[in-house]
Formats: sequence, C-alpha cells, structure tokens
Amino acid sequence: MPLIYVVDVPEFFPLVESARKRDDYRVTETGKGYFVIEATGSLQFSRKEMQLKPALWYGMFTGGLEGEITEWDRDTVTIVDIGKKP
Amino acid sequence: MTQEIPLTESDRNRTYATKREYRTRDVDVSELGTVAEDGVELRMHGVDHTARPTWKLRETVTFYRDILGLPLLHTISARGWGHPDHPDFLHFFFDAGKGATIAFFYYIGTDRPERYEPEDSHFYTATHTAWGVETREQLERWKETLESRGLVVSPYTRHEGLESIYFRDPNGYPVEISLRLRDVMEVDAQDAALTLQAAMELEDEANAEGTKIGDIDTIWRRKAALVGEFLGGK
Repeated sequence: MPLIYVVDVPEFFPLVESARKRDDYRVTETGKGYFVIEATGSLQFSRKEMQLKPALWYGMFTGGLEGEITEWDRDTVTIVDIGKKP
Repeated sequence: MTQEIPLTESDRNRTYATKREYRTRDVDVSELGTVAEDGVELRMHGVDHTARPTWKLRETVTFYRDILGLPLLHTISARGWGHPDHPDFLHFFFDAGKGATIAFFYYIGTDRPERYEPEDSHFYTATHTAWGVETREQLERWKETLESRGLVVSPYTRHEGLESIYFRDPNGYPVEISLRLRDVMEVDAQDAALTLQAAMELEDEANAEGTKIGDIDTIWRRKAALVGEFLGGK
C-alpha cells in the first residue's frame, strides 16, 4: 500500500493534518523525526486544502515515498501502490 | 596597460609561476584525507565576502551603492597580482551586514567573455548568494522599496525554512534576499543525510551502468527504504 514519510517540521504539518481528517489513511507519529502516512487504497492530497505554497508542494515527499505518483498538478497529487500505475 | 616583462628564472620560481597547482589540479576526493581519519575539525564563522567579475563599473557602483544603498567600504586597485598574465584591476566591496561584503572585480581593458553573459536558465541562476534579513517587515521593506525605485522583484517565495525575494543586478547576477523562518533542527540534518545518501547510492549505481538518475521519485523511493531502516523497520 502507498506510504509516505513526512519530515517532522512545521512546513509539512499540513500534510499530517490533512491525512488525519481521512478515515482511510493511517497516520503514525514515530517520535524519530518522521510521521508515516499510509492508505490501503490510494493517497491523495490537495494543495488548496493544505494551503501549501508551490515550492513546498513540489517538495513535500522529500521524507520518502513508497508507491507511484500517478498524477501531480498544481492542486492534486495521487499516489498508488507500486506496480498499480494504470 | 600592464607591460609585458620577460620572466627571469627567479620569476618562474615565484609563487605565481610554481605554486599554481591549487588552481589547476583537479580534486580527486578519493585521494584526500577526511575528518574521520585525522580528527581535526575545521569551522567557518560566517561570510567574509562574495566576489564576482563585472564589466560594468558605473552601473554596478550605482546599483549597489545608490539604489540598494549598501555603503562602499573598500576598493583595491592594483597592477595584476604581480602576475604577467593578470590584468590590472579594481576590487571593491559593499557592506552586506554582519561583517560580510559583496565584492566585484573590474578587470581593466578587458571584454566580457561570452560564457559570462547572463542566461535565463536554472543552471546559470544556481550560482547566487542569498543575503539575510532579520524580520518579515525588513523583507517587505526590501521588496516594496526596490519596486518603488523601479526594479523588478519576484513575488515572495516560501521554501522549507526560508522566505525569499529575487532580483537581478545590472550584470545579470541573481540576488536573493532571505528571511529564515525557523532555526534548523536536528531532524533537518538527520533527514538531509538520508536524502543525500539515497541520491548518492543511486548516482553510484547510475554511473556504474553509464546512465543517470531518472527522476526525484526514484530518490524518494530509495529514501523511504533508508528511513524505514532508520526507524528500525517500520
């Protein structure tokens, strides 16, 4: 299943907050500098909802990514399980 | 004009003739010692000066001194550096705060080589210096003041830990003014090490295959594996 590691710094908190609103995403705080966000289906984030500036939006997976990014425009990004790219 | 003076044997033995290896020898890191080996830790203490060449003396002085308002602190004018091939020059320094200066070399009687022409490319603008301000109000003051003086300034750009504005000087050099939004933390350094470890591993693998790293996603996937290990097996 797709998973991202989110670096535990203020500029990436919107990712964690956004994921916590989703029942189908699991958010784990590791206490070692990363949050883990994973989903059984696809992971999807909205820039408008998170109010991320573009420079952060395009660097928000710097913590690490398990999966494949199938779409990524100015407002929406979708990550699916590896090998499930249509 | 610098006179052409034939080199004597003793000239050839002087610094510029014989000790130029530091300028000419390629650096092969595999041949060099490391901190871990000798235990000697070297530390820097901020910026003394940055330096770039200019072929526009008046415009550069006007821009930095009169438009940006940075005091001119020092000018060196010299006949080469005692080296017969070195043009006569001016080397001048504008105050950039906290003891740092923005310096230029103006080489007398030379034309700007084509490769120093400014370009609208990421590779070109990657060589720049970001000068700090202390508050958001100061950053806004820079942008609003320079715009009111007629300069084209970028929108505010928020990065990880930094917010910046950008503009160009009369030479075409990019200048960045930055506000640090937070202190760098231990987690930043830990994460930086893992990101670069992932990228260096992939670079080594690509080099071995005569290819290049495909995209950032490839690095992020390798990074995830390293972070997973770092966290003790997720």
